[in-house]
Amino acid sequence: MFGSMAESTGILEGLLHPSLYVKTAWGVMAFLALISYLGTRKMERVPRGLQNILEMAVEGLYNFIGGIVGEKKAPKYFPFIATFFLFILISNYIGLLPFAGHEGPYVPPTSTISVTAALAIIVFLATQFFGIAEKGLGYFKHFITPFIFMLPLNILEQLVRPLSLSMRLYGNIYGHELVVGTFMGLVPMLIPVVFNLLGVLTGAIQAVVFTLLTSSYIGEAVHDDHH
Amino acid sequence: MHFDWSDFIWTIINFFVLLFILKTLLYKPVLKTIEDRKKSIEESLEKAARAQEEAERIKAEYDGMIARAREEAREIIAKAQKTAQAEKEEIIATAQREAQALLADAKATIAQEKEKALRELRQEIGNLAVLAAGKILNRAVTLEDHQKLVDEFLNEVKM
Repeated sequence: MFGSMAESTGILEGLLHPSLYVKTAWGVMAFLALISYLGTRKMERVPRGLQNILEMAVEGLYNFIGGIVGEKKAPKYFPFIATFFLFILISNYIGLLPFAGHEGPYVPPTSTISVTAALAIIVFLATQFFGIAEKGLGYFKHFITPFIFMLPLNILEQLVRPLSLSMRLYGNIYGHELVVGTFMGLVPMLIPVVFNLLGVLTGAIQAVVFTLLTSSYIGEAVHDDHH
Repeated sequence: MHFDWSDFIWTIINFFVLLFILKTLLYKPVLKTIEDRKKSIEESLEKAARAQEEAERIKAEYDGMIARAREEAREIIAKAQKTAQAEKEEIIATAQREAQALLADAKATIAQEKEKALRELRQEIGNLAVLAAGKILNRAVTLEDHQKLVDEFLNEVKM
């Protein structure tokens, strides 16, 4: 996993020739950008159509995230956390499109550990960053509560979080893809439909879980102690 | 489970690009619209509440005015009735007083007339009596005697 010289040139090569995951991720981003652009092009006081849907989605997401990180911190951290949700949700649903897969024209970006690990690492670093930015050195106080002996355990907990975040998301989406692919090979009719319906659930649930955990990590890091 | 560093790095770049895109195109305009709408609804509700309050205040004012007007009307009528009553009594009293006065006047005049008549009658009767007595006595009674006799007679009559 960790690079030798040969691997470093491989990374550069990879960056110049992005994989299907990265290309699909661009597609996801383009889709989100297009929807956002169309829905907010001319905002009206009385919302209709796409604007209405976007408003419902943003407001719902805002209330969900605000409910976890707290009303006061919500405006500051909402864009960051919501972006995870939208990217992961649409990425997961790429798997529901026909012909999705490693050989297909597109593949869910979240079905590779490389992508989910990157997302989880962003969450990890951002949590520490927001915590320090919000509380300064006081942020580290919660590492030694209730006792100083808890320090190793608390550090371990922080380090395990990105691992579990990335593994959970990757495992669910990749696993689902694998199952659908296998059954598609065995029984191409009906059974894949059932699994795709399950995929709708899994895709949403995993996006929600990732968002929920991210919100709670950030919420915990920036939480006001003095009430 | 294959780990690809270029996918990893691209994902980090992608995330921040997407964060920027969504912030500009989605979160900011939508949240601003929602906030603006919330404000405008709050303003409308406040305005409605104020209008309601104003209407209630005006209604109370008019109710008060109507009540006061009714009260005033009642007072005016009562006063008018009282005045009319007093006037009526005064008119009647004046009329009675005048009638009394006229009656008293008439009575006084009658009494005076009666007295005068009586006096004249007595004088006449006295004169006649003296004249008759003079005829009977066949001689003229002197003026002195005459008056004496009349006076005596009158005294008797008065008795």
